Amino acid sequence: MSAFLARNRLIVLAYAGMVVLLLVTALFSPGFLSVSNMRSTVVLAAFVGIVALGQTFVIIGGGIDLSVPWVLNSAAIVMALLCGGQDLPLVWVMPLLLAGGAFIGLVNGVGVAQFGVPPIIMTLATNVILQGLILVLTGGSPTPSAPALIQYLSVGRIGGFPVIALIWLALTLVATLLLSKAAFGRHLYALGTSATVAEFSGVPTARTTILTYVISGLTAAFAGMLLTGYSGQAYLGMGDAYLFTSIAAVAIGGASILGGSGHYLGTVAGAMVLTILTGLLPALNLSSGALLIVYGAVILLTVSIGSETFSGLGGRLRGKEG
Amino acid sequence: MDLVTVKGLSKRYGGIVALSEATFSARAGEVHALLGENGAGKSTFIQILSGAVQHDGGSILVDGQDYRPANPDAAQARGIAAVFQELSLIPDLSVEQNIWFRHEPRTFLRTINRAEMRRMTLALLDKYKFPTLRPEQELRRLTLAERQIVEIAKGLAKDPRILILDEATSALPAREAEWLLKLTRQLAAEGRLVIFISHRMAEVRAIADRLTIFRNGSTIAVHEANAVSDNEIVTQMIGRHLDRLYPERIATATDRIALSVKGFSSGSRLSGVDFALREGEVLGVGGLQGHGQRELFQSLFGASKASGSIELWGKPVSIGNPRQALIGKDGIALVPEDRRGQGLLLTKSVRENLTLSVIRRFTENGLLSRQKEAALVKEMVDFLRIKAGTPEQLAGTLSGGNQQKVIFGKMLLTQARVLLLYDPTRGVDVGTKGEIFQLMRNLAAKGYAILFHSSDMPELVHVADRVLVMRNGGIAATLGGERISEASILRAAMLESEAA
Repeated sequence: MSAFLARNRLIVLAYAGMVVLLLVTALFSPGFLSVSNMRSTVVLAAFVGIVALGQTFVIIGGGIDLSVPWVLNSAAIVMALLCGGQDLPLVWVMPLLLAGGAFIGLVNGVGVAQFGVPPIIMTLATNVILQGLILVLTGGSPTPSAPALIQYLSVGRIGGFPVIALIWLALTLVATLLLSKAAFGRHLYALGTSATVAEFSGVPTARTTILTYVISGLTAAFAGMLLTGYSGQAYLGMGDAYLFTSIAAVAIGGASILGGSGHYLGTVAGAMVLTILTGLLPALNLSSGALLIVYGAVILLTVSIGSETFSGLGGRLRGKEG
Repeated sequence: MDLVTVKGLSKRYGGIVALSEATFSARAGEVHALLGENGAGKSTFIQILSGAVQHDGGSILVDGQDYRPANPDAAQARGIAAVFQELSLIPDLSVEQNIWFRHEPRTFLRTINRAEMRRMTLALLDKYKFPTLRPEQELRRLTLAERQIVEIAKGLAKDPRILILDEATSALPAREAEWLLKLTRQLAAEGRLVIFISHRMAEVRAIADRLTIFRNGSTIAVHEANAVSDNEIVTQMIGRHLDRLYPERIATATDRIALSVKGFSSGSRLSGVDFALREGEVLGVGGLQGHGQRELFQSLFGASKASGSIELWGKPVSIGNPRQALIGKDGIALVPEDRRGQGLLLTKSVRENLTLSVIRRFTENGLLSRQKEAALVKEMVDFLRIKAGTPEQLAGTLSGGNQQKVIFGKMLLTQARVLLLYDPTRGVDVGTKGEIFQLMRNLAAKGYAILFHSSDMPELVHVADRVLVMRNGGIAATLGGERISEASILRAAMLESEAA
């Protein structure tokens, strides 16, 4: 266990930051640590966490997925349209939209891995194309409200626990198994550390890259459907905030933005930190403009602590006697 | 008077002692070789001299004055420049832009004076008879050897009184290495001091006036070069008697063909290469650098494209990528040229590097078994005698020889019995070199088939059973038995290209 802590110092740091932030927030806003407030914080963090799950895989592999906002938004709107407020169609709509998310990921992944399109360009392009498609599809008109079953998944409870928190927990377990206990995880870290070395070692680099984008498409689409349940309906622009938060959660969680390191367990802490922060800042009675400035500055600070540790490691490697 | 005098020099990195009370002295106008195994403290010593790191204790006098440079610029101001094995060049800039980087001649408007820079570059290249460099070439298009030559030009551009060459010949093919040795003598004749680090004894013999031997961070001995035998030097370097560098060559080749290559071609780089490698054989690949050796090895491994037919153990195969090459017992494995760029994940552990190619083998129901992995890692670390604190140590913190052993281990774990070794001893200390040659012979005796390229010709002569000499992308000659000699390899490699 201590070896795990030593190797994952940045993840431990992210959790420590989360606890400190919780205490600070409680100081300014005494009701913050109440059960009901913690419950709603976890629910909000779960949306960030689920989108950031796919993002974590993509970033560890050395890429980035900028298409999450409109994959999320498309899934939300198409689900609302196809279900028309009814539960029953979900039986086929949900698998269909998850497949759709995976397909967008496949397109991203093939573009990056087979055609060598830089990830930023590739995923930015799919994002804009999806946005256009949805505008054409809806003509800007409002969509029907979310089916009750989806609302249950995002705001319901089982024995006091939010259903979505349990979903998040299960996904965390799956992600952890993939990263730590599967051959895929080992291939992924190798790919993100050096694509050339991975290739020369017989790692299926193209397949691994594509799979990360597929996972990201899946989680973004899934989050879109759940978020529709939470808001009661789907609307244009509902995914926009998740571009920044999904990447920030990964970075705060201790992953190098250049790939090759990090873990979803860190991202979970990152998602919590971001959500607590959005709860803390209003308690400080700042204007909404000032809020955004502080929000951005805190994230910059958190990430730079991580990168300093990283460059320290690089320095040790360079200084090594040969 | 000595130009440099070093006394009691010490340097620690955390708990690791890199230098302890090292001494050194050298005169202007001499070539002074610095010898020692990897980890002996040579690199730390020259990093201190060149201002890259600062010492903890001891003193350095240059021209009788205290010398403690805070950075490489300060070292250069005192007339000391270093050419490192790891290159500091910028791929996007041209040859001349790299040579004069941060010291470009300026016009009166403070913009870069390109005409003057071109003139200075040509003058420099001409004065030292640099081979095959054109000032306007973009660096990324150059081979490793050509880049090394640019790095040397960059060092000389500073007109240093003391020039440090760290393994500068290791990436150079025979003819360019020859040029560098001549250059080194020329620099000494101009009254400069050249501190020369090389793992090749023949080179040290050819040019050094004196040599200083380091071991475990301390100075072991200083010799006049002509007053000491190779054996004494090696014994002092490794601290024990090394029986011999090259193992006895016992013929273990059978009649069974392991790898058969026919009509292998790739653009202008490879043209119609045919050869057969037998079970139990070490087949050398020689020739001047840039005559298709790299393309041959990379294409056989699937890392670059080529046409032609390949048979492995009698079965025709098509290898489109390294993953298809590493398919297990009947596969083909490569120890690549660029240890740090192609071979190792520097920021990952020895364990993760070793098992990367075979990680699927440790899964049960899709989940990794750490016990199985750890057991095999331990076996391989013991078998190759990899010196790492624990298997969790990061590969980038190992010495060059141990890094190379990790790559060997990774490839051996794949169980592929056809091994492609591309210059596996480059920048490796003499003790580990001996171990690698012995390993090659042992593997051959077990029925492995080994294709072996070396930029150090004596290695081919002493280790290979047969040698293919490449010229212009084809096989110019196949030498066997008594016919293998440096002279015969060179003759086959150069005859036509000299005429052309």
